Amino acid sequence: MCAAAEERAAGARRWGLYVHLPFCRQKCFYCDFPSYAGQAGRMAAYVEALLGELAREGAPLRAAWGPPRTVYLGGGTPTALPPALMERLLAGLRDFLAADGGPRAEAARQDVSAVRAAAAAGQAAAPGARGGAASSDRARDAAASAALEFTCECNPGTVDAAYLSLLRAGGVNRLSFGVQTFDDALLRRIGRIHTAAEACVAVRQARAAGFRNLSLDLMYGLPGQTRAGLEASVRQALALAPQHISIYGLQVEEGTAFARAQAAGRLALPSDEESEAMYDYMTTALPAAGYARYEISNFARPGFESRHNLGYWQDVPYLGVGASAHSYLDGQRYENPRGIEEYLAALRESGRARREEEPLTRATSMEEFAFLALRTARGIDRARFAARFGCELASVYADAIARMCARGFLEEDAQGVRLTPLGMKYGNWVFEAFLLDE
Amino acid sequence: MANQNIRNFSIIAHIDHGKSTIADRLIERTGTLTKREMEDQVLDSMDIERERGITIKSQTVRLHYKASDGEEYELNLIDTPGHVDFTYEVSRSLAACEGALLVVDAAQGVEAQTLANVYMALENDLEIIPVINKIDLPSADPERVKKEIEDVIGLDTSNAIECSAKTGQGIDEILEAIVTDIPAPEGDAAAPLRALIFDSYFDSYKGVIAHIRVKEGRIKKGQRLKMMATGKVFEVTDVGCFRPQPVDLGTLAAGEVGFVAGSLKDVRDVRVGDTITTAEKGAAAPLPGYRGVNPMVYCGLYPVESSDYDNLKDALEKLQLNDAALVFEPETSVALGFGFRCGFLGLLHMDVVQERLEREYHLKLITTAPTVIYHVYKTDGTMLKVSNPSELPPPTEIEHIEEPYVKATVIVPSDYVGAVMEISQDKRGEFKGMDYLDTNRVMITYHIPLNEIIFDYFDRLKSATRGYASLDYELADYKESKLVKVDILLNGDPVDALSTIVHKDRAASRGRQLAAKLKEIIPQQMFEIPIQAAIGSKVIARENVRARRKDVLAKCYGGDISRKRKLLEKQKEGKKRMKAVGSVEVPQEAFMAILKID
Repeated sequence: MCAAAEERAAGARRWGLYVHLPFCRQKCFYCDFPSYAGQAGRMAAYVEALLGELAREGAPLRAAWGPPRTVYLGGGTPTALPPALMERLLAGLRDFLAADGGPRAEAARQDVSAVRAAAAAGQAAAPGARGGAASSDRARDAAASAALEFTCECNPGTVDAAYLSLLRAGGVNRLSFGVQTFDDALLRRIGRIHTAAEACVAVRQARAAGFRNLSLDLMYGLPGQTRAGLEASVRQALALAPQHISIYGLQVEEGTAFARAQAAGRLALPSDEESEAMYDYMTTALPAAGYARYEISNFARPGFESRHNLGYWQDVPYLGVGASAHSYLDGQRYENPRGIEEYLAALRESGRARREEEPLTRATSMEEFAFLALRTARGIDRARFAARFGCELASVYADAIARMCARGFLEEDAQGVRLTPLGMKYGNWVFEAFLLDE
Repeated sequence: MANQNIRNFSIIAHIDHGKSTIADRLIERTGTLTKREMEDQVLDSMDIERERGITIKSQTVRLHYKASDGEEYELNLIDTPGHVDFTYEVSRSLAACEGALLVVDAAQGVEAQTLANVYMALENDLEIIPVINKIDLPSADPERVKKEIEDVIGLDTSNAIECSAKTGQGIDEILEAIVTDIPAPEGDAAAPLRALIFDSYFDSYKGVIAHIRVKEGRIKKGQRLKMMATGKVFEVTDVGCFRPQPVDLGTLAAGEVGFVAGSLKDVRDVRVGDTITTAEKGAAAPLPGYRGVNPMVYCGLYPVESSDYDNLKDALEKLQLNDAALVFEPETSVALGFGFRCGFLGLLHMDVVQERLEREYHLKLITTAPTVIYHVYKTDGTMLKVSNPSELPPPTEIEHIEEPYVKATVIVPSDYVGAVMEISQDKRGEFKGMDYLDTNRVMITYHIPLNEIIFDYFDRLKSATRGYASLDYELADYKESKLVKVDILLNGDPVDALSTIVHKDRAASRGRQLAAKLKEIIPQQMFEIPIQAAIGSKVIARENVRARRKDVLAKCYGGDISRKRKLLEKQKEGKKRMKAVGSVEVPQEAFMAILKID
């Protein structure tokens, strides 16, 4: 492949940049992510501090590997930033992406100008017929598979046409909308600040702003949700023709409003059987509608898989900046302080925020490599495993693979091993089999 | 040293009355160990003993003490366990002594095991020095406790010592009293050698090491000695005392306590209770030995990995070297494969052995619920001892069954008499008597099936009396009972290791409770698992473990990876003790479920 050849020649390497914005208008009842409501006064200082951290931590990576291939603004709610601050953040990111000094800096500059040109063009163009948009999307994406994927998470209740144009003009070329469901009563019950209608409007406005790569998040297993309700939401999502859909089963995490409600006996979740019926529905309906299941919870039109997220499952290094952001560099994992104040203080005091997590041993690296890769449809690639660890996959995992194949959870061939549809359902049992005894 | 300057003594007490702490103070005060060398409870050397704050094995230590009469004395202290399960250790130690410190908590007063230990000391003709410990406690009432000792035990307390092992108060008085009140050992050092083995342990360098009390004669390094019971002849390589580490002295004479080691590689050659004499011109007759100890409680021990069977066997053999009460023999379970049926003195003993096997020998084990030994009289006139419920013959071959009863002594504040009686009746107990120890403490005696004691009698007693009840029991006799076997079927297949023997009147409710408990314990699997309890072919209870519909983490992105790996590790840890029984994965707890129902 020419991309591989280029990497070998120039020392360039695929890596991702994650930017965490821990602000929310209101905390959702199921959310255990580091995000904080009512912190508007801190946003400006936070954005500056984060850009400072990026300059410090990102420069050596860019020098060695070239600019990141993917950027992901996540939260919290990145779009809770007021427009001026979002503009400032995007300008800072653009400067970082385009700065001199790396093997692929020149290419990156071209990527960014191409993106900006496309943005300008997109704004002018009317939202076209679906088929046409899809085919031009595919053509563009195929041509620029090495080009930057720049995602921003959006809460439909926080954006309007102007804000979306601002994102597009600032270099963002993929949006992930946290829609969750198209049932307004359910939206209120889970603490979302938007309505179903607002989600539809936001998606149309995004198209109008020139976005050609949109993702919608849906949830199932919500309190009071029925299988019919989920089916309706999936149908409405499909009617909006996004390029990508993620569907997450609700997990009641410690410390959330839902956990408290559950402890008090006030959380009526669907039965296991209903929840399974929802799961079965979405895992068949979405592929039937042309969205391939490329990861346990992720579905995409061909060519629109999230390259940034694939990186997490394919052992690709990433730098995370911002409070609570995680990084994975040279086989070591890092973690930033979770709290905003703690994060700002760390940067003030030492200029750095990240702390090393427990070092990964060879065994734990293998475990993570295995269970992350198994989340994807491609599974564990024998050649990649051998290249990463210098030994054959079978020399470590022959027994686990045989056991899991025997139970119908795994299938294997010359290329690798991957979960069967049954295995996806019982993924945790398969992942567990790939933990090594030490 | 001349015999008149030697004192051999034990410390006896109810659990938690401060026996080991007093031992520590004595060691410290006599300078046997420096402050720096002292660790709390130096004689409790096993990790399990330190963690649980209990003494399991007897330990000996020699103290050198200069008394107020200006003379130098050698004090041999033999520390003993306090828990009812380890009574046999106490009795062996006492046979090596002339006196004992009876330690009683100044706030708690006389408890059930205080009595049991005192009676044992009196049987051995020991001089008893009452020691009232913990007088620094605000709730201490030494006068009341002394009166209790006089009234209940009938022991003169005019020489009782009030002390606080915590503050060190009274320790000097104890040392003086040991010298003045406890008789010096008698025994002719010139007579033929007779030394009593009261304990032994295995050292990987020196082989079997015997704890001994030399009653007559003398042992010297290089001497050829003979075990009178086993006939084993060996040459002495080490002979000495514990301070508390073994110190080679080259000789031990009549009256002294210490150890002897030689070319003893097989632990079976060294029997606790045996007498050692010289190989030539030995003593004519051995010393009176001990009554053998009989296990009261049995359970099956199985390796989780069947390949560990031989390792488990080795480990049990090694533990048996210094745990005379542990017995085991191979058994086979349809559900669990090859393992051992092991006999213990009680539940704590069982717990400790299991924990030592896991910690010291790194074995992963499945333990089946403990049972007692039933005497099954068959229609053909023979009697069968059954310690494994699955070996109970079919009802048609049984004439009748007898089960062991114990005499249980419970001491409680009088407010709780009603609670104790209610629980004891519920446990099929027969009321035997009640005595007031003083105006508000009562001693209640019941005959109760041992089966019910190991079930949860003491736990229920403790919680119903806010922890005030103390319990001691000893085997009384065997009595006929209407007993039946309750079988458990998982997925339609009987699981022998889950069978249990219960009284007929409770069989139905036990069966229901057990099935319900198993439903909680057995994790959901891909398919539904029916659980049935049955007596013979009659199903008495039925539950279902519903199928696990799916099990997968929905989200796993950059910030989740370490946490998810830890979750998976925890999940794996939880499954480590699972045993595949047919197609069902059954966790260790399931085999103990019978003990957990209420």
